[in-house]
Amino acid sequence: MLYEKKEAWSVLLRLYHWAFALSIVCLVVTGLYVHEPWTSTQLEAVRTFPMAYMRYLHFLAGFVFTAALMVRLYLLIFGNRQEKFWNAAPITPSNIVNFFKTILFYLYIGKKDHRLGHNALAFTIYVVVFLLAVCQIITGFYLLYPESVFWQGWGLKLFGTQQQARFLHHIFMWCFMLFAMIHVYLVVWNENVAPEGMISSIFSGDKFVEKS
Amino acid sequence: MSRNLHLSDLNPTLDRRSFLKACTMAAAALGLSSEMVPQIVEAAASPQRPPVVWLHFQECTGCTEALLRASHPDIGRLILDIISLDYHETVMAAAGRQAETCLHDTITKYDGKFVCVVEGAIPTKDGGIYCKIGGRTALSILKEVAPKAAAIIAIGTCATYGGIQAAAPNPTGAVGVNSIIHDKPIVNISGCPPNPINFLGTVLHFLTFKRLPETDSLGRPLFAYGRKIHDHCERRAHFDEGRFVEKFGDEGHKKGYCLYKVGCKGPETYANCPAVRFNDVGVWPVSVGHGCVGCTEPNFWDTMTPFYERLPSVAIPGDRGVVSSAESAGKTILGVAAAAIGVHAAVGIGRRLGKGSSCCAKPAASTQASDDKSKE
Ligand code: HEM
Ligand code: SF4
Repeated sequence: MLYEKKEAWSVLLRLYHWAFALSIVCLVVTGLYVHEPWTSTQLEAVRTFPMAYMRYLHFLAGFVFTAALMVRLYLLIFGNRQEKFWNAAPITPSNIVNFFKTILFYLYIGKKDHRLGHNALAFTIYVVVFLLAVCQIITGFYLLYPESVFWQGWGLKLFGTQQQARFLHHIFMWCFMLFAMIHVYLVVWNENVAPEGMISSIFSGDKFVEKS
Repeated sequence: MSRNLHLSDLNPTLDRRSFLKACTMAAAALGLSSEMVPQIVEAAASPQRPPVVWLHFQECTGCTEALLRASHPDIGRLILDIISLDYHETVMAAAGRQAETCLHDTITKYDGKFVCVVEGAIPTKDGGIYCKIGGRTALSILKEVAPKAAAIIAIGTCATYGGIQAAAPNPTGAVGVNSIIHDKPIVNISGCPPNPINFLGTVLHFLTFKRLPETDSLGRPLFAYGRKIHDHCERRAHFDEGRFVEKFGDEGHKKGYCLYKVGCKGPETYANCPAVRFNDVGVWPVSVGHGCVGCTEPNFWDTMTPFYERLPSVAIPGDRGVVSSAESAGKTILGVAAAAIGVHAAVGIGRRLGKGSSCCAKPAASTQASDDKSKE
């Protein structure tokens, strides 16, 4: 069997991916710290500001996270073929077929329905994650700028008081952790069962496809 | 403080000095410049005191209790010199029919001119039969009085957002004033109880400028509810420095550290408690070592509880009554997912071992792929 190298992901998409992934790691770590500042100390007269720094990092990563999401939304419309919304959304007949074939493949029943870009199942999950990210951003900015008329207006309408927004913000975090765990597992699993260089593609942008 | 001193404090005759002091305090609470003090003084000293009708509905009278303990000015000065409190069930001398006549006369005589203060929530279920005064429902009293008022001040979290009787499952369908009255200026002085200075500031603002103060999206005056408690709390330095009370009575508690980890809701609550404090005693909950419970926020009985935890618990669906902390619910879900991944991986490995080569013929293909790569 012969394989050829094809560019799947643009530089911008790869940059987005890593900005998104690393900011989530940072947000989860700092977010958990903000939730439960476990370093609780009785030291006085030393300047360490653990809580202040953790919150600062959280907000910084929050901005990176927001920027990354905006880039991805841009690419959904203006990206290359694989990155566009229509390419993998389960709304065209072939994508719907791909959606179910992928489920069967993951259940060790069917064969892989190869795609250069995302498979329709993965893409569906990504859309859910993007929606979650939007919720996370709205709750986050509502918590960050609660006095601003804009965020207060939207925050109150969509989520209620700061405490309710904070609760949801926390619950959404667990969704991101759940997603990250399954995502990494499936990527490694795919790498093992299908020789297309999926992991390296998110660094190099290239995948390997069977020459027909 | 000696008993006599206390009594003289309650003497309602107004000396100029304490009257000016009261006006200056109110100006400060409103965030006005000292140049505004004369205007406030003028408005408050005007012989035309605005008539006030004070309605009590589903409540505990705690807001009135707090007002009775106000000191700048005390309740005597407030009702004898600044406003004309024409109807207030707790402090009025009249009772029964006499009292109801009083209410009726005031709202007819001062139609469109009096200020209506509402304390307590209004039950709406079953025609509002769960709160009746003189045989009439709270709902019908409010609907009669409110349209005639110049402005409405909802005092306390019950009148503003329903308070404790609106807590789930809200058996009487209790709501705040602004869920019923929509065509009148309403200002929400929330809190359980609210600080009397916020009420007085609002009244003086109304007297001075002839309109209610500017409010946030929840109808609370910005001069009093414009900032987060957490952002001007005296324990904030301990928060930033990571010094926390771990449990009540521990060393950190004795040292006055931040109450974040024992559930303080200051980071989610808007009020001026840290700046204004209560009734001249100079304290507020956090200053005496108890976390803020978020009493100025809507539905705080539902959303700010448990009071001693950071976040509400997660109700586990399908398992009635079982709640768990967000933390442990999250961990359980991750654990289940990890187990599922483990099973999935094990099935894959099992199949590969069983068949020798897997469904995707990986070993052969991958060598070829790498061959391809090296050829390129
Ligand atoms: C994947 C994304 C994110 C995760 C996992 C995350 C996680 C968390 C967690 C766990 C908390 C603590 C809440 C608690 O339990 O008390 C928190 C707080 C907070 N987050 Fe995020 N967050 C994310 C994104 C954002 C974004 C985009 C912003 C906006 C800049 C943001 C702003 C905040 C703010 C302002 C707080 C409150 C901090 C405080 O008041 O001390 N977060 N976050
Ligand atoms: S005691 Fe409460 S309001 Fe004060 S700094 Fe700590 S968390 Fe914030």
